[in-house]
Amino acid sequence: MSDATAIPNAVLPSVSFRRRAAAVAAAITCLAASLAFMKANPLDFFRDFHYVANLVGEMLPPNLALLWRKKSILPSLGETISMAFLGTLGGAAVAMVLALAAARNTSPHPLVRGSVQTMLAAERCTPNLVILLVLLTAVGIGPFAATLSLLVGSIGMFGKLFANAIEQVDAGPVDAIAAGGASRLQVIRYAVLPQVAPSIVANIFFAFDVNLRAAVALGVFGGGGIGFELNVARSVLRYKDMLACLILVIVMITVMERVGDFFRRRLFRLEAVLE
Amino acid sequence: MTWADFRLERYGRIVKPGAVLLLLTVLALWRVDANVADLASGITKGVSIFRLFLPPAWSAFPSMIQPALVTVLLALTATPIGAACALAFGLAAARNVAPPWLRASARTAMAFERGLPEIVILLILVAAFGLGPFAGIIALVIGSVGMLGKLVGDAIEEIDPGTVDSVACVGATHAQMIRFVVLPEILPALLANMMFRFEVNIRASVLLGAVGAGGIGYELTLAMNQLEYGKATVAAFVSFVLVFVSERASNLIRSRVLAGDRLA
Repeated sequence: MSDATAIPNAVLPSVSFRRRAAAVAAAITCLAASLAFMKANPLDFFRDFHYVANLVGEMLPPNLALLWRKKSILPSLGETISMAFLGTLGGAAVAMVLALAAARNTSPHPLVRGSVQTMLAAERCTPNLVILLVLLTAVGIGPFAATLSLLVGSIGMFGKLFANAIEQVDAGPVDAIAAGGASRLQVIRYAVLPQVAPSIVANIFFAFDVNLRAAVALGVFGGGGIGFELNVARSVLRYKDMLACLILVIVMITVMERVGDFFRRRLFRLEAVLE
Repeated sequence: MTWADFRLERYGRIVKPGAVLLLLTVLALWRVDANVADLASGITKGVSIFRLFLPPAWSAFPSMIQPALVTVLLALTATPIGAACALAFGLAAARNVAPPWLRASARTAMAFERGLPEIVILLILVAAFGLGPFAGIIALVIGSVGMLGKLVGDAIEEIDPGTVDSVACVGATHAQMIRFVVLPEILPALLANMMFRFEVNIRASVLLGAVGAGGIGYELTLAMNQLEYGKATVAAFVSFVLVFVSERASNLIRSRVLAGDRLA
């Protein structure tokens, strides 16, 4: 097509540029459309920014005296940490059993394997909030419900990761021990566990970090702990107390990360024992 | 198999850590007021409550579509905005791009942010901006910046200095270097992590809905508070589907991005 009025290709931007520009334009349009759908005006961020400034003004200085004035604050930190600890440990224990049933090389039967894997996948897709709300109605408000929901919430992820680790186990030791006449349980104990222990330990420590944050979040919904205290301070508009709680949360998470690192290093020296 | 394989004498060196673990567990159990009686009664109660949740009130399904859309859009808008902010923070946090003082302050800010759960950020933002999806978007954006920013910063620091030198050598400015070296190098990693973050954000946005960001999380808590358990089941089902689909979609796109990175 030699149209005299057509713009020569040489002055047009390159094809890849045009394609990219179209993609960017489409993305921006989608973004704007969805913002409009939610009636969220990005300019509100700047127009309403004085609210943020006001709030910060009201929060300062943090009422750190709360720490010794209010008797329940310090125990609530322990509560949150305990929730995360128990949820992680219990979840790992349950998940280990399920993972042995879900891994191809240790599963007793393909049918068991399929059903356990489906169950784990379903659990992974259930939002923590749903689990917590159901448990709150069953066990009642309090840290115990939050612990259970963290436990249940950890199983799906743990189960998948553990099963993957078990499936990637080197077949050599497994065959060697089985050839020596070991039972299935003995094979698991002497060939599988020593190989997967490092990755399991690493995952448990990582999950503890995640669960600690989740424990704070669940506290807000009536799970107890520091999250609950924080939400109470917010709902009675005591922002200075709220900022104090917030600082405590950050300090707690940072300290627990350090503590976790310490134990992890100690534990890696122990790992040889299991072999 | 005999239980002799699990005899305690074989594990001399793990007795002490085992005891510590046990002690911590007992301490923690006491702290959260766990007791078997509660659990047992909870399970029986749970079973009877389970009957309340069934059958699902499917008639409520049409009214759940709009909140579900809000939840998805919340994550869908917040993730790219968060990624864009994370790119800026990541550049500021990379040793080979930013001056030391900027790197230190960006890293500290992101470390602080990672320490805060989204829900806490949202509680503050709701106090400032009021209820609604807008506070939710900002909370998710802020929540994404901490993780993505650190990953981007680390990815930039791992760029081969040879590439940087060769571009600098032909007289590229700082901006040109970022455009032609840094961006192409980190874009696949950023996109893959963005997809992962989208998944996280969908879950978070269900949760955020419950404290006032709107969407399906709000419908869920509302139904629970009004004791309309059949409706709650539908809301739970919808949020389950959302998470499931987003996980699948994100996995699909991620594997595509990582396989053939003909981007940038």
